[in-house]
Amino acid sequence: MNDPSSRLLEESPDAIASRLIQKAHNRDGLPEIAIGLCFLTVAATMWMQVVFHPGSAGYTAGFWSSALLVPAMILGSQWAIKKVRRHFLIEKEGYVEFKPVNRKQSAIVAGIALVIAVLAAIAGYKGAFPPSGWILAGTGIGGGVLAALSGRLPRYVVGGVVMALTGILVAFSRVSLTVGFTILYGFMGLLSLLSGCVVFLLFMRQPAQARE
Amino acid sequence: MSTKIQRLAEIDRVIHEPGRLMIVALLAAVKEADFQYLRQTTGLTQGNLSAHLSKLQEAGYVAIEKTFRGKYPLTICRLTERGREVLDNYRKVIKGAL
Repeated sequence: MNDPSSRLLEESPDAIASRLIQKAHNRDGLPEIAIGLCFLTVAATMWMQVVFHPGSAGYTAGFWSSALLVPAMILGSQWAIKKVRRHFLIEKEGYVEFKPVNRKQSAIVAGIALVIAVLAAIAGYKGAFPPSGWILAGTGIGGGVLAALSGRLPRYVVGGVVMALTGILVAFSRVSLTVGFTILYGFMGLLSLLSGCVVFLLFMRQPAQARE
Repeated sequence: MSTKIQRLAEIDRVIHEPGRLMIVALLAAVKEADFQYLRQTTGLTQGNLSAHLSKLQEAGYVAIEKTFRGKYPLTICRLTERGREVLDNYRKVIKGAL
């Protein structure tokens, strides 16, 4: 077994703690299942905007779902994971209560997201968006790098590489931006959901260790 | 420089042991955690973790509370104020010496 304590001389205690907590967070596959469901919902709402004509009920439903349902799913997924772990997996995973979220940090992240959204809206209004291929490739590479850096596990690095390659392939296929996003998020959603389910089943097959 | 290195002699030996440092660092990053979570996360054996927690409790760095959640017994561990101070001091001394 690779003893994490042997790395204490190479890393600071805070870095070790952060790495261990992140690994523990991802070990049961639930975060991947949540990410997969979010990505599939994004793909479904994009697909609705592709197949239905603007102004139709289907198009409007797709638009409002992407504007309201997707952010709610992203925000609610951490809460749902915590509830599932507390109610059904506490014997296997143990109990942990994290510190309350730092409001200042949350406000900064929300502010940055808002500025990016406003800049994207202005760019879209003025027709100043870069070609769709660049946006698709950039989304794939950016998402891939984020997954590889934040997951701290080999399967997240593989998923990140797959996302970057998918983004580049979709960019080269010269499809429209909406179709490209539907393919990118749909494929990554399925992959993430499948990977999460496999990890979850393997985790559930491990025998629960005796408690102190 | 020599003064900073000499400060290494002041390092708290209870917290300097790698297994205990890992436990204290983890508890500093969360509000509270139970024995099972600490064991899963650190990879320490039940006996090792139990021994380390006892030493940390004796030193007053960790508070341990036995409770239940439904039918499951929980051994909840929290870092005390004293434990937090000692970890902060440890960080400063190590950072200064390296």
